[in-house]
Amino acid sequence: MTAAQSGAALQPIPRVGLTWLLIAQLLVILPHLGHLPAWIVGLWLGCAAWRVQIFRMRAPYPNGRIKAALMLGTGLGVYLSRGGPVGLEAGVVLLIAAFVLKLVEVRSRRDALVVIFLGFFALATACLFEDGILAALYYLLPLAALLAALIGLQQSALAANPWATLRLAGGLLLQAAPLMLLLFLFFPRFEPLWTLPGPRERGVTGLSDSMTPGDIAELGQSGELAFRVGFEGPLPERSRLYWRALTLEHFDGRRWSQASGAQQLEPPAWEKRGEPLAYSIVMQPSNQPWLYSLDVAGSAPDDARLMDDFRLQQRRPVTQPLLYRVVSWPDSLREPEGSASALRRALQLPERGNPQSRAWAAELRRRHPQSEALVQALLDHFNREPFHYTLKPPLLGRDSIDEFLFASRQGFCEHFSSAMTFVLRAAGIPARVVTGYQGGEFNPAGNYLLVHQFDAHAWVEYWQPQQGWSAVDPTFQVAPERIERGLQQALGEEQGFLEEAPLSLARYRDIGWFNRLRLSWDNLNYGWQRWVLGYQGEQQLQTLRNWFGSADLRLLGVAAVASVAAMWAVVALWLFKPWRREGDAQQRLFRRFERLLARHGLQREPGEGPRAFAERAARQLPAQAGAIWAFVVLFEAQRYAGREGAPGELARALRRLRRTLPWRADRG
Amino acid sequence: MLAESLKSVRTRWPGRIVGAAGGARLDRGCIFIVPSRVGAAFGVALLLMLLAAINYRNNLAYVLTFLLGAVFLVGVLHTYRNLAGLRLQAGAPAAVFAGEQARFPIRLDSDGRAHQALALGWSSGAPQLHDLPAGGAVTVELGLPAPRRGWLPTPRLRVESRFPLGLMVAWSWIAPEQRALVYPQPLPGDLPLSAGALEEAEEEGRRARGEGVDDYQGLRAYRPGDSKRRLDWKAYSRGRGLLVKDFAALEGSELCLDFSALAGDGESRLSLLCHWVLELSVRQRPFVLQLPGRRLGPDSGEAHREACLRALALYGEAP
Repeated sequence: MTAAQSGAALQPIPRVGLTWLLIAQLLVILPHLGHLPAWIVGLWLGCAAWRVQIFRMRAPYPNGRIKAALMLGTGLGVYLSRGGPVGLEAGVVLLIAAFVLKLVEVRSRRDALVVIFLGFFALATACLFEDGILAALYYLLPLAALLAALIGLQQSALAANPWATLRLAGGLLLQAAPLMLLLFLFFPRFEPLWTLPGPRERGVTGLSDSMTPGDIAELGQSGELAFRVGFEGPLPERSRLYWRALTLEHFDGRRWSQASGAQQLEPPAWEKRGEPLAYSIVMQPSNQPWLYSLDVAGSAPDDARLMDDFRLQQRRPVTQPLLYRVVSWPDSLREPEGSASALRRALQLPERGNPQSRAWAAELRRRHPQSEALVQALLDHFNREPFHYTLKPPLLGRDSIDEFLFASRQGFCEHFSSAMTFVLRAAGIPARVVTGYQGGEFNPAGNYLLVHQFDAHAWVEYWQPQQGWSAVDPTFQVAPERIERGLQQALGEEQGFLEEAPLSLARYRDIGWFNRLRLSWDNLNYGWQRWVLGYQGEQQLQTLRNWFGSADLRLLGVAAVASVAAMWAVVALWLFKPWRREGDAQQRLFRRFERLLARHGLQREPGEGPRAFAERAARQLPAQAGAIWAFVVLFEAQRYAGREGAPGELARALRRLRRTLPWRADRG
Repeated sequence: MLAESLKSVRTRWPGRIVGAAGGARLDRGCIFIVPSRVGAAFGVALLLMLLAAINYRNNLAYVLTFLLGAVFLVGVLHTYRNLAGLRLQAGAPAAVFAGEQARFPIRLDSDGRAHQALALGWSSGAPQLHDLPAGGAVTVELGLPAPRRGWLPTPRLRVESRFPLGLMVAWSWIAPEQRALVYPQPLPGDLPLSAGALEEAEEEGRRARGEGVDDYQGLRAYRPGDSKRRLDWKAYSRGRGLLVKDFAALEGSELCLDFSALAGDGESRLSLLCHWVLELSVRQRPFVLQLPGRRLGPDSGEAHREACLRALALYGEAP
């Protein structure tokens, strides 16, 4: 037994198995190419060529020394190109390298199995890097090829035919699909058991935690998606859609950044007012920990919390698409009392610089003792004076605020908000810059908003006693169409929208059919992210609660096991087609008759007709001869003579026979 | 550890054994199925993939893991189906001499489905792999060493399938209920002819010798019914047609192969007798086989030879 088994494991690999193995390897490695160093590809091509030559008996298997050298070289290569054996990328490079190297020394079935299982695992890691719809569809190919290779290792005529092997692999996948759906639906999504390094930052564009003039204008050139929002109620007006990412409170004369004290854990004081807005957001990876929300996010997703500057932040950076649901109260009263430390931070200014602006602020203060009047005067100033909204503002020197306010007067939203915050602070009004996104593109195909990187925006918040923080947007005074209609309209004809991103689909929004196609495709992706990739945690519990009325774990466990078992039985029925094999009721009854007599040592010979069998049985069991004949005559009459019988007649004859027979004959 | 215990379950736990005298059909009652060692390794790989999915909260990795898990579940059905409905029928094996391999014909019948990569083997020894086309039948000959004379009972027959993925192993034990007759191993040697026959032999002034060259008369054309052992293959290869070595039958002399006249232990006596039964049959000489309590002949020919060999094989055993 053991010898036979290990013999089978050590058998050489059939040709078809090896062919599928090579194809599967190609298909598994392709999606990894983006994050593999180039030398791995070289190594792989070399190994595959070597393997083919071995199969054609033109090259020998590698000996121990060559294998050791290859492994050492690969390890060194991973270390050099990935800076050490830690991190997901390095792990994947090692995995792929093992996958590639193992193929060369594949001699026996057991080695081939190792390569196939490595392939399955490499495919799972590919999911961590790319999990869009197209990628998911693509992954079916390497999966089918790996299964075909597994089948191809069998020694049978079918496994020697590559297409039959692939067809069987595809059939297995199809039959497995419904079971997979059930497992996906019910399997509880655990919290990560331990933290693992995620995919490394891959030049994700997006807001950063600081802002210098020109940063957001640069984002304005990017047509990449930031997040999608589906509102549970009607879509609010565009001008109310200020998606807060974070607040910048520290100004060093040129750069706005997050204040060091802004990481306090206690939640800010605020009072719910007005109507809430409920919405869910599918956020693209930003590699930053903050989430986007409208003010004020009343209910936060599980592992995120409302920080003391009203931003939502979760513990870990968002490295994968993230689905979360928020309820916001836009009209709330925020920190009417104010906290001493927050107000101190909101008044911080560099010691020196921008003297002109400081003088102007002092003058405004003299003219408008009321904070609200001063803010209004400032906004009027932006509105009245010839300020120009542009993606390509001139570069500013050391006193950037002075230069912008009194000389260039051309800027993007960060210039306006930065200048306004500076002047407010200089006038003694606590104020801060808020960055985030404004507006979004409505997708009628799926009734949701698409927010792109070019929707990035910066605005201003100032604080008054009793009224708390209020948001105000100087950009609106200069370019109201930016807020009401979007960046493309605000920029007008003379400045090319997304002109530095010719491949961005959003650039071609003016072509009607193309735009409809783009939005439909985006809607498909949105659904994929919401319902497939986002089917985790609360989303899963909510769905199961909707279906089963409760999310009781025991109930769900029973439902899961029962439905998987039921589906398995359905697949079994489909595979065995018992209705086809068992034939009709007469045949079934005859089989029972056979089984009954078999217990008394009477086996019907193959090819022995019912009558001959009955004769033999009657000879052997003379006491029951009458009942045996009665059954067989009735069977033949119904089956062969075409006599219609009452359906129960044959069954009754069988019952009579059973009654006359003892349960089990002594065979003596 | 686990593999070890699984293996012991597989070998020691025969479950229901199906008799195959009248043809056994494999079904629910006699097919057993457990994950193979490859299946266990597959399970470990799936577990690792699941850990990756959990730790990276990646639903697509979950999908992949579940899909492979579902393939495993569906594979159970496929492997089971590869055995289910298979009919086995053991045929009567031909008699052999001790020290040879007995060959048991096993007929496999499909009930309409094709069966792939079926491994047939005794409870010990390497299995043979066979495919069975849909609705077709295959006869497989399984060899079994026959070390000693008498009835050779067949061990249990194991039918096994790991098709299609090799992750599961399904098997059935079948007791073929056939036995092979094993003749004693022929041992050449001198034969002290027994009393009555000895006198006659002395009359002719010679002792029967193993080689029997004196009786050789030459070649004659082959007639149906001649023993194949006497065909002259050399002549045939030279293109002279099928010729038979002709031995002169010693008229009137009736040889008696007597067990009690021989020296040595029982088995070697039987072996010697066996040799002479074959030898005399080749020469087409009538002879008597005298065993304690049993006398066969005088006679010659195939039937007599078979009867004598059978008597030798079963000497001292229940028939």
